[in-house]
Amino acid sequence: MCGISGVVGSSDVTKRLYNCMLNLEYRGYDSCGMAVLSNGQIDVRKNTGRVAEVFEKERFSEFRGRLGIAHSRWATHGHPSKINSHPHTNQNGNIALVHNGIIGNYLSLREELIAKGHVFKSETDTEVIPYLLDLYYEHYGDFERAVRATIERLEGTYAFAAIEAGHPDRLFCCRNKSPLIIGTGKDANYIASDIVAFIEYTKKVVYLNDNEYAIVSKDSFEVKSASTGKYQQKEIDTVSWDAEQARKGGYPHFLLKEIYEQPIALREALEIDDEKIKALAGMMDEADRTYLIGCGTTFYAALLAQYYFKAFAGEYAPAVNSDEFRNLCGVDERTLVIAISQSGETFDSLEALRYAKANGAKTAAIVNALGSSMTREVDFVIMQGAGPEKSVLSTKAMTSQIVVLTRTALWLAETRKSLPPDELEEIKAGLGALPDVVRSILDEKPGFIRRIANRVGRFKKWLYIGRSYHLPAALEAALKLKEVTYIPAEGMAGGFMKHGPISLVDEEMAVVVLMPPPENEELYRSTFNSVSEMKSRGGRMIGLHFDAQESVFDEQMILPKVHSVLAPIPQLVAGQLLAYFVAVLLKRDPDNPRGLAKSVTVE
Amino acid sequence: MIILSGKPLLEHSLGMLRETGITDVVIVIGHHSEQIRGHFGRGASWGMNIEYVQQGEQDSIADAILLARDRFKGLDYFILSYGDTVFSKNIFSNCLASFSEFKKSTAVVALAPQTEFYGNVYLDDTSRISRVVEKPKGHAMGNYVLAGTFVLASEFFDLVEKNEANVAGAFNALSKDYGFYATIWEEDWTDVNLPWDVLQANRILMNGWENATISRLATVAPNVTFTGPVFIDHYAEISDGVVLRGPCYIGKHCYIGNNCLIREFTSLGDHTTVGYGVELKNCALFGRTRVGRLSFIGDSVIGQDAIIGSGTMTVNESLDDTTIEVKIGDRLVDTGLTKVGAFVGDRAVIGASNTLPPGTLVPPGSRLPHRGTIG
Repeated sequence: MCGISGVVGSSDVTKRLYNCMLNLEYRGYDSCGMAVLSNGQIDVRKNTGRVAEVFEKERFSEFRGRLGIAHSRWATHGHPSKINSHPHTNQNGNIALVHNGIIGNYLSLREELIAKGHVFKSETDTEVIPYLLDLYYEHYGDFERAVRATIERLEGTYAFAAIEAGHPDRLFCCRNKSPLIIGTGKDANYIASDIVAFIEYTKKVVYLNDNEYAIVSKDSFEVKSASTGKYQQKEIDTVSWDAEQARKGGYPHFLLKEIYEQPIALREALEIDDEKIKALAGMMDEADRTYLIGCGTTFYAALLAQYYFKAFAGEYAPAVNSDEFRNLCGVDERTLVIAISQSGETFDSLEALRYAKANGAKTAAIVNALGSSMTREVDFVIMQGAGPEKSVLSTKAMTSQIVVLTRTALWLAETRKSLPPDELEEIKAGLGALPDVVRSILDEKPGFIRRIANRVGRFKKWLYIGRSYHLPAALEAALKLKEVTYIPAEGMAGGFMKHGPISLVDEEMAVVVLMPPPENEELYRSTFNSVSEMKSRGGRMIGLHFDAQESVFDEQMILPKVHSVLAPIPQLVAGQLLAYFVAVLLKRDPDNPRGLAKSVTVE
Repeated sequence: MIILSGKPLLEHSLGMLRETGITDVVIVIGHHSEQIRGHFGRGASWGMNIEYVQQGEQDSIADAILLARDRFKGLDYFILSYGDTVFSKNIFSNCLASFSEFKKSTAVVALAPQTEFYGNVYLDDTSRISRVVEKPKGHAMGNYVLAGTFVLASEFFDLVEKNEANVAGAFNALSKDYGFYATIWEEDWTDVNLPWDVLQANRILMNGWENATISRLATVAPNVTFTGPVFIDHYAEISDGVVLRGPCYIGKHCYIGNNCLIREFTSLGDHTTVGYGVELKNCALFGRTRVGRLSFIGDSVIGQDAIIGSGTMTVNESLDDTTIEVKIGDRLVDTGLTKVGAFVGDRAVIGASNTLPPGTLVPPGSRLPHRGTIG
């Protein structure tokens, strides 16, 4: 998903243009750039990195001008680079252009242009557009005609905006199957992929249809049909809503939205190239010892992975909290440290990686945010591709990380032949079915979970209990509740209870038990014993399980069956929804809990 | 009509529509049509333009929808709203905002305590509604349900017709052929089907109140006590010693006698007269009712033009803390609530000293005689 924007005004527009680009940042970014026209010259600055980073690197504050275009990019595959970023220009830089979409026939166009003597700088499809504009501008001497002629040659989906040095008062834009909207403001006009870009400046919008282009100047705009060149009458609509609401796309909170995006995020994680997973597994196989590090939710993801590496591949790869790493772990050249991070900027994890590197260890990371520091500092990185995660609570990033780690554990098992092939296939099949399982939970269970939340949401203290694979899930589910409702909740190993904590349990304690599937007889029995103990002490027992109704639980959530080793994952999703609904009940702010930041970039 | 905080339910919805800038409305009415028309007229005083279409006794939702069809000719999209749903905030803003994003038909979906009365939805990865399952029998579901507010493509009318008045089928066809998206409503809402739903609706409407409002034209005696968001409307008269605990609403021209105790979530429609020493709690009186001295009205709904004799008690809890059941027709329905009073219809007359057990239903126009200990 990319975002393009453009502003043309009667006074300096660069701050507004920058803000438009920033407002589209929620869609994601791995590189961005701006082109501003002033004094007959087009100044193009672009680079990889987040918008604020590139602002610093390229000194966007120096931009001045009354006409400019901007672009921000989020790619789920591929390596961003400065050269490939937008805006792109023609050879002598008097035309600058930003583009969203895919030019299907760009290769043949490229060839044609190269044959005519044009020299390309990047590998992108976009670059053919400014070159075509150049070609036709030469030919016709009129830039609008050049735009039309260019559009005629393009195949594919595109929304683009172009500025030309000799036209300092207007921008040219076009829409074909990629979104583009015009905004008319007081002393400036705007164009963007999404209203969210400029809604803080104006709520008056004009919608472009496919195969239309527009010439936008500071106080007027003309929309014409790309095929006939005929003027199109357009109405100015006033939008009545605000930007924040739009970004949530039908969800009351980003947290709920991201919980609901898990099926897609899991699919993305399943589709990550096998070669990458294999490479990570290979690194583990080669190393003498591997540590899995993370903070908070990512630590719990690491912890679950630790169980999987042991169960599938016989590998002891301890999960370690990043902030304690250097105090606990010895590292050398035969060590591998794998960090797990949504933002790729978590200070504690970065420090742990640097410590590891300084001592000769190999490093790797599983990261969601492209272009982040971690991706540049490790030897090997796997990008999750779960899409931007706006809520402070991590939901889809975590389950996606678990899938990546599970796949790695399975690859290691395959390499070492430590699992019988049919069991391996079964687990893989189970993994492949996860997106649909999660989908069915999201479709069919929220009503039940919310009812449970309404009935137990006012308990002042909570315990989450699990054994084996279900322990990390219990810890994470407790963390979710803590984070968003501010209620004290502790995750705990079932076996640990009777060594002290059982004395906490009374009628004021809500206990969520993550039951293993009944096929896992021993684990089921031992977890069940903990349940009976706690119930006899008056605890309000809430069961997350896979079986038929169990009378021992006061509340229960029956989840769809999955392969027994993957059972924690549906429970994680149920735990997320439970925390969400309790937060709604208690009128908390699910997206911005007090005192928490999305990415902890400080110590 | 159901009147809460001095307004018919429909007026709350119309107010929300007007806030979002929608002023052209077609109301399909069945019973109470005279009352509704009488109250709203053409909507001029609300700055709206209201048209009415009369539906027949046996008409279904689908029939009702089709009756309005002609008024929407030539439009690409229209808003459909089931009139008996109450939301805590402006549901139309929410729906329209999401519609602007999706640019396709959009439905508000929410979680409901019982999914059997609603269309249950299945969503896909992009908030698209992939399937609607209408009123599943016996099989309890936990899905989000259609909450009765939609922005629909005008093709929907054709789909309702084609699907032989099966609205769920029409929704499924809409999803398949034109696109149908969901916007999730996480705040309070309720359908008003059963009598006790009125109490829930009343709570939802009052829950958001932050300020106390006292009309300049109201008369309030010097030693009246208020706490919380108390709303006293024009020409209401509050006598000495009354205690008001908000949120509560005292309608226009109401008279509250000495020493009454009016507790949270009480809504008194206009021209309600309340005698000395009456306690009112979590109740909705629709208006023009006399409540005799020393009565207790709790967790109850009283229709318009009713007379409640002196010393009437609406008992609102069972002795053993179980949920209250109400006899509707010949069925006993569990309200799921432990505090339920009485439901008294319009124009009912309840004589003095009557004690109404929890969940009593008094049909409109009934007469209960005075209860005497002599003779």
